[in-house]
Amino acid sequence: MVDAVVTQAAIEMSVEAVQASQIGMKALAAAIAIAGTGFASAWAELSIGSAAVGAVAENKDLFGSVLVLTIIPETIVIFGLVVGLLLIL
Amino acid sequence: MFRPEPMTHLLVVASKERMETVIRELYSHRVFHIRDYVEKEGEKVEGVTIGPPLGSASEVSSKLTRVRSMETTFGIHPDEMTPATRQRVLDLRDTIDRDLAAVGNETDTLLSRRAELEGTIRDLEQQVRELAPFAGAPIEFGHYRGYETLAVYTGRIGRDVEISVPHEKVFTPSPQGNFIALFVPVEHKAAVDAILQEARFMPIPVPRGSGLPEALLAENQGRLAELKEEIARIDQRIAALKEQQAQFLATCDEYLKSDLEQEEAPLRFATTDQAFLVEGWVPTREVERVKAGLSLATEGKALVTEVPGDPHHPVPAPVEYDNPSFARPTQLLMDTYARPRYDELDPTILVSLIFPIFFGIILGDVGYGLILLAASLGLRRFLPEGDGRLLLKVMRNGAIASIFFGLLFSEFFGFKLPWEPLLYARHLSMGGHEAEGGPMVRELLVLSIWIGILHITLGRILAAVNHGRHHGIRGVIPQLGWIASMWGLLLVIWSIVAIPVMPDLTGVPPLVAGLSLPALVGGLMLILGILAIASESALELTEFPTIISHTMSYARLVAIGLSSVAIAVVVNFVSIGMLIKPNIEDFSLVGILFILMGIVVFIAGHLLNTALGLVGGALQSLRLQYVEFFTKFYKGGGEKFNPFGMIRKFTED
Repeated sequence: MVDAVVTQAAIEMSVEAVQASQIGMKALAAAIAIAGTGFASAWAELSIGSAAVGAVAENKDLFGSVLVLTIIPETIVIFGLVVGLLLIL
Repeated sequence: MFRPEPMTHLLVVASKERMETVIRELYSHRVFHIRDYVEKEGEKVEGVTIGPPLGSASEVSSKLTRVRSMETTFGIHPDEMTPATRQRVLDLRDTIDRDLAAVGNETDTLLSRRAELEGTIRDLEQQVRELAPFAGAPIEFGHYRGYETLAVYTGRIGRDVEISVPHEKVFTPSPQGNFIALFVPVEHKAAVDAILQEARFMPIPVPRGSGLPEALLAENQGRLAELKEEIARIDQRIAALKEQQAQFLATCDEYLKSDLEQEEAPLRFATTDQAFLVEGWVPTREVERVKAGLSLATEGKALVTEVPGDPHHPVPAPVEYDNPSFARPTQLLMDTYARPRYDELDPTILVSLIFPIFFGIILGDVGYGLILLAASLGLRRFLPEGDGRLLLKVMRNGAIASIFFGLLFSEFFGFKLPWEPLLYARHLSMGGHEAEGGPMVRELLVLSIWIGILHITLGRILAAVNHGRHHGIRGVIPQLGWIASMWGLLLVIWSIVAIPVMPDLTGVPPLVAGLSLPALVGGLMLILGILAIASESALELTEFPTIISHTMSYARLVAIGLSSVAIAVVVNFVSIGMLIKPNIEDFSLVGILFILMGIVVFIAGHLLNTALGLVGGALQSLRLQYVEFFTKFYKGGGEKFNPFGMIRKFTED
């Protein structure tokens, strides 16, 4: 009788623990999605940005097109954010 | 609207005697965009050359150089000046030589005197530096020289030394280095050398001149002070001259520049022995006025012809925007990308509407909107007319949109306004205080995708118009294909999954093979669309994934906006929740410090977030125009309409 109650409690505990850990895993997954894509965006913008500054120094008229090229990789992190939000919610 | 200012291709031919008259007339109209005559290898026409400048070009040019050099001396920038009065060109022409020479002579005299004084000061300062070490020793300079039996040492030394041989010594300790003057018989020189070397002796040569060092030093310093005073007086005089002559110099600059442009204009003409020809573009509504003006000025002796356009080889006309006044500031954003070509749609007016809307959706906060509005109105006074002002106007429009969407989102510095959000809520909860609801991210994301779908469809429609104009129906089909594929794909998705804020077609009963009618129609549109795209070029299909990626890209409208809300909420939580509120409830003297700190955090945090919101909102909104919208239909690369003539500020006829 006592054993049964204890077992029951243990099962409930473990169900709660599994649920909590699932939420944690989701949050972790979202974090990885954001961090990874954020890093990727930054990496891509690093090389574009330095080339862009060089190009603008040569010819100021390029500013518009260079601005566009530099912010193109931002889409990567936006995708990461969308995935992250969809995972959490 | 949607079209640049219509232009007419004009050709003016006249005899060479009329050249100056024609130039002055065209210049006064300021509507003629000259196409420079270029002598190309292979296309050269016998007997036709580039014209020589008019007679007084080199004289005008040298005067202009003189004016510019004076402007540099005085630090005058005509572009940044607001003229008090306008001077009549006729008056100026008579007096410019005399007045300019007078100002120039005075400036030259002052500057050369100043340069001379600066040279003398440098010499004197050098002398003072040489004299300074001897100042402590009361020995006349004449006494250091002219001995046969004595060796004289003067210089810096590490410490005082004991000399074992007969000698005379003056030692002056000083924090800059001790000074020693030492007189010893020549026969003991070797011994003394050794002693001095050990004490780290560094010789200093005795300066020329005679008299006591103290007296010499005082005299030199007195002289230095006098010279510096004179330089200060000259600087004052130069400043006064700048004050007096700034307007005059700016006026001369403008007058001479306009004169030089006219004198050098023949360099852009084609000339023969007897005649000259100038080609260019005039806004169509001005053509009659220019023709009448030229005919009057030359007594009908100039031939002005309109060149008919060749539909197969159109000569690209220069582009002048033709937009309603509210869209004009946005032309700056267009020029940053590329000016539209003459033969394509000018989307300025669309961008002028959509850019602020996107900016408003991203920032969407009444508080930040008000700050930006105040900044854009307040800064206007400090910026001269030009690009800066236009940018402020763009910012003002964005700020107004931001306030509007702030009211819809019910946001004020991250707080909730006293009503429920009229659109979907973006409020985040923080610090364990579960706010009612929380952000409706799904709905917001789908809303942004909707905006993307509509924006991209608009872009494709514009592309269809552009291509249709050039290539007829064959140009339109691929563009319709893009639209059909996108909407077909949407229909298919809608009939498979139910998405909030989008039509739910999952409930439609299946028709054939488990597929419902919308799914079938969607699939058909998709296939026909792909075929239509491929009809132009199969390579175009590699772009197909952009249908999804470009649409998803609009999620940034919500994503950047939410991050801005998050920062605002964090700032509020830290400043009010953690610093201000607990200390007001539990009031103490130390608490005042925390409350002050909370206020600082609040102000600094929200200012930072405003700046981030401005940069992020503007750049992301701009990017959606440039990358997602313009790549569908816009090429750009038109030549700016640059009429021959000048907008005068300081002079008038």
